[in-house]
Amino acid sequence: MLSRRSLLQSASCGFGYLALSGLCASQARGGEAKVSNNNAANYPLAPKAPHFPAKAKRVIFMCMRGAPAHVDTFDYKPQTGDKEHPGSVFKFQQSGQSGLWISELFPELSKQADKLCLLNGMNANVPNHPQAFLQMHTGEFRFPRPSVGSWVLYGLGSQNENLPGFITINPETRVGGAQNYASAFLPPIYQGSAIGYVGADISKATINNVTGEHLPHGVKRSQLELLQAMNREHIARRPDANLESVIESMELGFRMQSAVPDLMDISGESQATLDAYNVGKSKASGRSLNDDFGRQCLLARRFAEAGVRFIEICHSNWDQHGNHRKDLAANCEAIDRPISALLADLEQRGMLDETLIVWGGEFGRTSLLTKDNGSNHNSAGFTFWLAGGGVKGGLAYGKTNETGRIAVENKVSFHDLHATILHQLGLDYEQLTYRFAGRDFRINGTEPTRVVKEVLA
Amino acid sequence: MDQVVAEFPPESSPMKLDLHRSRRGFLILLTALWATASQPMAIVAQESKANKQAIAFFEKHIRPVLVQHCYECHSAGSKKIQGGLSLDTREGLLRGGESGPALVPGKPQQSLLIQALKYQSFEMPPKRQLPEAVIGDFVKWVQQGATDPRVASAVAKTEVPAPVEPPGIDVAAGKKFWSFQPITNPAPPKTNNADWPRTEIDRFVLAGLEQNKLAPKNDADARTLIRRLYFDLTGLPPSPEEVAEFSQAYARSPRTTLETLVDRLLASPQFGERWGRHWLDVARYGESNGNVRNATFPHAWRYRDYVIAAVNADKPYDRFLTEQIAGDLLPTESPEERNANLVATGFLAIGSKPNAQGNPNFQMDVVADQIETVTTAAMALTVACARCHDHKYDPIPTRDYYAIAGIFTSSETLYGAGGNNMGGAPPTDLHVLTIQGGQTPTPIVETGEEPTKGKKKGGNAKGRAVPQYPAGTPLAMGVRDRATPADCKINLKGEARQLGAEVPRGFIQVCTPGKPPAIDSEHSGRLQLAQWLTDPAHPLTARVMANRVWHHLFGQGLVRTPDNFGLHGERPTHPELLDYLATKFIADGWSVKKLIRSIVLSRVYQISSEFDADSFQADPENLYHWRHNRRRLDAESFRDSVLAVSGQLDYSPGTGSVLVKLGEVLIQDRLTPDKIHQSSNLRSIYLCILRNGEPEELTVFDLADPSLVVGTRNVTTVPAQGLFLMNSPFMVQQGERFAERLLAAQNPQGDLTDAGRLGLAYQLTMQREPTSAELQRAEAFLQSAQSNLATDAPEKRQLRAWSALCQSLYSTNEFRHVD
Repeated sequence: MLSRRSLLQSASCGFGYLALSGLCASQARGGEAKVSNNNAANYPLAPKAPHFPAKAKRVIFMCMRGAPAHVDTFDYKPQTGDKEHPGSVFKFQQSGQSGLWISELFPELSKQADKLCLLNGMNANVPNHPQAFLQMHTGEFRFPRPSVGSWVLYGLGSQNENLPGFITINPETRVGGAQNYASAFLPPIYQGSAIGYVGADISKATINNVTGEHLPHGVKRSQLELLQAMNREHIARRPDANLESVIESMELGFRMQSAVPDLMDISGESQATLDAYNVGKSKASGRSLNDDFGRQCLLARRFAEAGVRFIEICHSNWDQHGNHRKDLAANCEAIDRPISALLADLEQRGMLDETLIVWGGEFGRTSLLTKDNGSNHNSAGFTFWLAGGGVKGGLAYGKTNETGRIAVENKVSFHDLHATILHQLGLDYEQLTYRFAGRDFRINGTEPTRVVKEVLA
Repeated sequence: MDQVVAEFPPESSPMKLDLHRSRRGFLILLTALWATASQPMAIVAQESKANKQAIAFFEKHIRPVLVQHCYECHSAGSKKIQGGLSLDTREGLLRGGESGPALVPGKPQQSLLIQALKYQSFEMPPKRQLPEAVIGDFVKWVQQGATDPRVASAVAKTEVPAPVEPPGIDVAAGKKFWSFQPITNPAPPKTNNADWPRTEIDRFVLAGLEQNKLAPKNDADARTLIRRLYFDLTGLPPSPEEVAEFSQAYARSPRTTLETLVDRLLASPQFGERWGRHWLDVARYGESNGNVRNATFPHAWRYRDYVIAAVNADKPYDRFLTEQIAGDLLPTESPEERNANLVATGFLAIGSKPNAQGNPNFQMDVVADQIETVTTAAMALTVACARCHDHKYDPIPTRDYYAIAGIFTSSETLYGAGGNNMGGAPPTDLHVLTIQGGQTPTPIVETGEEPTKGKKKGGNAKGRAVPQYPAGTPLAMGVRDRATPADCKINLKGEARQLGAEVPRGFIQVCTPGKPPAIDSEHSGRLQLAQWLTDPAHPLTARVMANRVWHHLFGQGLVRTPDNFGLHGERPTHPELLDYLATKFIADGWSVKKLIRSIVLSRVYQISSEFDADSFQADPENLYHWRHNRRRLDAESFRDSVLAVSGQLDYSPGTGSVLVKLGEVLIQDRLTPDKIHQSSNLRSIYLCILRNGEPEELTVFDLADPSLVVGTRNVTTVPAQGLFLMNSPFMVQQGERFAERLLAAQNPQGDLTDAGRLGLAYQLTMQREPTSAELQRAEAFLQSAQSNLATDAPEKRQLRAWSALCQSLYSTNEFRHVD
């Protein structure tokens, strides 16, 4: 009989492979990807070298579902007297050394203005939530395409073998739902792992099946030992790298049972930290529960520390067709302190430089129209902002016209944004392709796209 | 500024004088506006008697609005012509800008200008939507032909190059590629080892092995063989009794025993539930829309049942394809046949559709899904690439794409009122099936295109009435011909608003053998499409299906990219064998069962999956079939096997879908997929395949994405699977049912021991007896688990320990793989 070592080598994988097979492995990668004899390539979550040296190692995407009013937050438009586009109804002030104009709705965040890189020239072509939301995540609304987080994970692999590489916390169930974090034609291993959903209580949500109360831990441990003994005996008769990877992944699944709940248990954080993130303090806003967003930000930091590649958090809802003034203020209040705490926390831990923060929603809004007490959709011009991860702080890049209605200078599309995110992670969006059904797909499809180099530090 | 408007000929009627006066009114306004414009503009009126009135209408209702609200950004006087669109000349309107022509005379709904005014796509003018009455004037104007007297000088300033049609492709040269060559009928080669081959298939395979200095592994043992055949043909494990019986008989007379088993499995209803699912993968079967507006499709299940029945009946594949593409056009002899034919066309209707709102390409997106599905499923060609440009690799010009597109634009896709929930997609009729007694119920409200204003109950914003059917009316998704079939124009760059030349309806030239069937002006051409596809001389159809069958039986096709036989697909490892199988397939009346039978009775199918270091070194990917490929149970087989082993599997065919009660609703907010799915012990093929919300026990094991044509499923190994096996309510529950089954088991003597129960457990899961080491280990586990559960009552303790053991058995590689 072959020894374990020799049989593994005979299956052309060896221990280097086993060491790598942290999270999982795949038998056949993707629909038509060639079956390769190179097992490093067959192991889909092994950390991969980027195309060029990366500025950032991971992304935290703060998804503001519903289209936040750019003119009342980060795109200052003084009152114009224009009936249709009267301008911001909130006060703005210049903040930080850079003098960025930031709304009074962000008293805390404006203290960190010099970390922010405002993209005031964002524009999208469909002023409807569902399509734009999907475009924001996948670049495409007509066909199922991989989420940007899936592309990132596909391009770089995972840094933590006990956790999923792409986590989305309290994702939207509308506007495309799971398609926004799905891997489409990329192998399912690259899909986002959802924790909770919009409106869920994040303090109770977790990854599916990560815990099971049906057996005490001791029995589960010996159950796994029994299983693995059977599996090892089985593989001894059949040298097979794929069978070996199943054995490994069962171990990892077992470890995740404690790793994930431990990571999601924030009770060990200091009271000062919890306060800074508004945990236990803020009120419900929009469709998000009480201190939900603060908890999400804190979890995002913990996941980032643990090596999760792409973390999406979500606040909903920013679609102020009515009650604009009050609801927008409540939303901003709900996110202002937690975001500030996260930026400060990452900086203090020396992680901000290597973590790209992306903030924004599917499009922007017209300014408040008093007669409706609400604001309307505006996709031709709106704002995203970036921070950390090798982008210039204290910069306002791009412009909308005097009413905020339309981007007129240094425009950035979702494709550009995706390309820029990939670029900061060391990935060339043109090289990052996947062959499916005979075609090489990339994140921007065939649309003209550019990396927004002007905002890179 | 005095050139702004040319003088009109004198007018005589009082009404026209009136018009004239009002024209003077806006002239003042226009002049005032124009004072800010940098360049004068010449407008020449050329009036004929026939369009005098129309011109008057334009001058009164249209021009002033254009001048006041549009010229600032869309005229020669603009600082920069926005979007390349000039609205100050007739030519500019017709030619359009970056987004295509601004109007289609006579067709307001297709006119971008109208959509923009209505804020349906663009929102123009951006400052504020124009009053409804003004938009109404524009609609009327376009409806009546968009008479526009303006000619101009301004056009030269626009910088958008007119989109050009793709140059086309040398199709004749393209035909030299292997997959477009006619299918041949090669004689099986001679082999050095004349004893090994049992069938002609074996001679092709052995010749390949010998050429590469490889030898086939020994034959698999009886237990491996029956397990392999059961899973491949039915997706279920054999019972211990069947294994015992088969093994004994096989030892006596292998050949006849094997043939008897294969024939029995092919004839069992479970065969269709297994192989029907393979077809549903390439038919991108789903019961909700997915995409951004996830409306349920409560009638889609009929198509699923149609597929299962067709596979079980061994419907000839050419007929099977024909019914799915053109079933509604076939003559029928019974109400049942009519129903089945209509349901079959669901193939073209169940695709995932994008939002229609703000999407001028909606109809062509639906057509694109149909083209992609038909051409990929049946021909393994990526024809869809040619929508926007000539295919980059394969000899498929854009013209060919629109030749086929014309067939589908001449057909109406019936997806139902789910459209109402699909972001502006107009609701459609459905096929009304014949109920018992031969009656076909009629809808209460016929659909029609009467425009109604605003949202109305039972209608949508576009004013199309939603047909109401009497309760209990059997309905089906599908397609039917439009009243007036028409050829389709090339959509330049895939944009429905940038139209190029009209292409006569037809087919993909490079795989058209001889003269294609003619499409008349009365029909869509779907029937001819089906005829063309199923022509025995078609180079792809039979090859592609033979390859799909091989793929499912061996885990890899002779062409290992079963969905791509083009340049970027792989070349066949055994081209002669592929042609041999395709020829035989056609000769056997396109019988899939006969094809499967001939393959599984070959010796190459029956060899062992054992490892061999030398062969592995020489052919690590097993291209030449020196051994059988070990395969993971797919999602359905795994779940069904778990249920079969626990004794819970309900073998009855599923009836309907959980969506029948729910109707056409939108899946969102509180109506999440997990609220829709109901626990079920039916086979997995009958579970509700909600797009973006498939049943968890299937997705975790790589169910095909139901929005995409999937000929090869992923096989991934992720910890989520481990967590599912360890903790999911389904596995915990089935572990317990399995344990109860074991604990309730008894032998004739009534003295079944734990060892006897463990023997039964191994027989049920792995079709073999446990070794003594395995027995000891399992008994030790039971003991330690029970002592860990000491606080339980003895009976509960026993059940929990056994349940834990059963869960482990379910999780083993041996249970989850087929050798």
